[in-house]
Amino acid sequence: MAASSSSDIENGVVEVLKNVSRRPIEPTPDSDLVADLGFDSLQILEVVAELEDRFDISIPLNDIPGARTVRQVVAQVAALVGGAATA
Amino acid sequence: MGGACTIPNALAAAARSDHGYRFVGARGVESRKSYAEMYDSALRVAGSFAALGLRRGDLIAIIVGDPEAFLTTLFGASIAGLVPASLYPPAPTSDLPSYLEATARVLRSCTARGVVTSAALLPHVDSLKSGCPDLRVAIAADALQGPAMAAADVPPAGDIAFVQFTSGSTATPKGVVITQRNLAANITAFANGLGGTADDVAVSWLPLYHDMGLVGMALGAMYTQAEAVLLTPEAFVKRPIEWLRTISRYRGTISFAPNFAYELAVRRVKDADLADLDLSSWRIAGCGAEPIHATTLAAFADKFRVSGFRDTSFLSGYGLAEHVLAATLSPRGRGLYVERLIADDVTARRMATHANGSGAEILSVVACGAALPGHDVQIVGDGDGPLPERHIGEIVLTGPSVSPGYYNDEETTARAIRGGRLFTGDLGYLSNGELFVCGRVKDLIIVNGRKYHPQDLEWGVADLAGIRRGRVVAFGTTDHDGPDRAVVIAEPSGTVPADELTDAIRRRIVDVCGLRVDDVVLVPSGTVARTTSGKVRRAATKMRYERGDLDHAAAGPSGA
Repeated sequence: MAASSSSDIENGVVEVLKNVSRRPIEPTPDSDLVADLGFDSLQILEVVAELEDRFDISIPLNDIPGARTVRQVVAQVAALVGGAATA
Repeated sequence: MGGACTIPNALAAAARSDHGYRFVGARGVESRKSYAEMYDSALRVAGSFAALGLRRGDLIAIIVGDPEAFLTTLFGASIAGLVPASLYPPAPTSDLPSYLEATARVLRSCTARGVVTSAALLPHVDSLKSGCPDLRVAIAADALQGPAMAAADVPPAGDIAFVQFTSGSTATPKGVVITQRNLAANITAFANGLGGTADDVAVSWLPLYHDMGLVGMALGAMYTQAEAVLLTPEAFVKRPIEWLRTISRYRGTISFAPNFAYELAVRRVKDADLADLDLSSWRIAGCGAEPIHATTLAAFADKFRVSGFRDTSFLSGYGLAEHVLAATLSPRGRGLYVERLIADDVTARRMATHANGSGAEILSVVACGAALPGHDVQIVGDGDGPLPERHIGEIVLTGPSVSPGYYNDEETTARAIRGGRLFTGDLGYLSNGELFVCGRVKDLIIVNGRKYHPQDLEWGVADLAGIRRGRVVAFGTTDHDGPDRAVVIAEPSGTVPADELTDAIRRRIVDVCGLRVDDVVLVPSGTVARTTSGKVRRAATKMRYERGDLDHAAAGPSGA
């Protein structure tokens, strides 16, 4: 329906990260999910599940480790949201 | 079928039943392959290997996450007489270059002739050929399409059923050799303990490059000709309820998982979803592979009671890859049995003394059952001699499941397996013939079922600027009833601001091991104790940390 603006997506990603992490974190676009924000591989998948629900997208899990920074995650979500809109 | 029960024999026998594997993929996409169809696919894989010039006894590394592709490749390699070796695929948190470097080390050390992997990883794995002189073939699993090997061309089965490489998180992964005899002996014994029959339905999301998923679930089901429903680890971790929905939908009877999975299900399954679950068919809820916490499992039973879960379904076990899988299993239908011990007696006197309502600090230990039939568990003291009941010592295993050793690694083998006795490195005690596990001799850090060697963390950061050479100690610490926390203690050289150094240590360990360190403490020079030969004294440093003697405030130059 209403297209998400890029700042909506960024806010949504940050909110998901804060919810999944059980420590007080302050993500910035350059924060590395693992090294800076302390996510382990379980929590990364939890983040993926929450993002899928929130943005109604399907994030493919490749065998290749993907996005590591908040900026990269936002870009990946934005591409999937945009792709769904044009499909 | 005659002769020893091998993977090809067991598959050929299972192919005559109606049962097979159901693969539950992402977004509910499912496929089912009967054991007969698995056998046909495996013959095509075997034919492909022969066409690629791979010969009986060649080691073929399997780096595949997809359960169907993994099993088809393993069975095909087994039929072709190759030595299949499972390696960890990269985790979502892995740094790809570090992962590939570690993988190349493994491939070189086991002189792998071939690698089967996913299409996505193939270009990366293919690039390792230049650094691995023995490696001739790198191919995607879905390219192994035959033509099928003719029955007359099937060579006699190799003695080795497979080699299981431990986690990619360690600098020197060890390949545990499991013989066909080991495998058959262990599956027969634990299937007996579970009362497993062809009517059982196994449900598993466990990775197949780990013993509990491969042997306990996928091969265990196939050997007993039962149906198995397999999800991926990613599907479970993303949505833990999918595990339970699958049990509910397919009337699963047996499902094993490590402690953290039960914890994840308690935390993440929404109460609103409980009404649609029917877990009444689940007769064996197995728990093993990492320390079992009674409180976690009690919370699970409480939460899922409304869905028909019974806490008498819990079955605990102790085992390790070097023993195929299980060494002990608790009696089925009993549920968990927990002893409450005086914590100080356990740590200081190595005695398991019942707490009996005394005011002392309590340590709860879950009973893991008696040794499997035909197998033996001993507790030994410092001189390797057996200890009496309720004395805590190293757990030593003997019997037909004990691995002959590590692939191409006589030195490591000699440290762990001597005269057919497997020295596990785990601490425990026996009471009425039942094993209780209460710690580790080896300094392992266990997080979410993955084992990390502190040496790997220490080596990983050894060359970082700003650390005094050799003055780093890593260890895991735990409050008696929680998961491990990874801690690194380092002496800074003063050339790098403290907060930058702390960050650099964390980042490097993530890259090298895929582990997030919970606490980095920078300490003044001379704090990290060393032996006279210069090795760090990990236990001594850990004790000081746990007492609170090592203070963050004592760090070197501030970054401010």
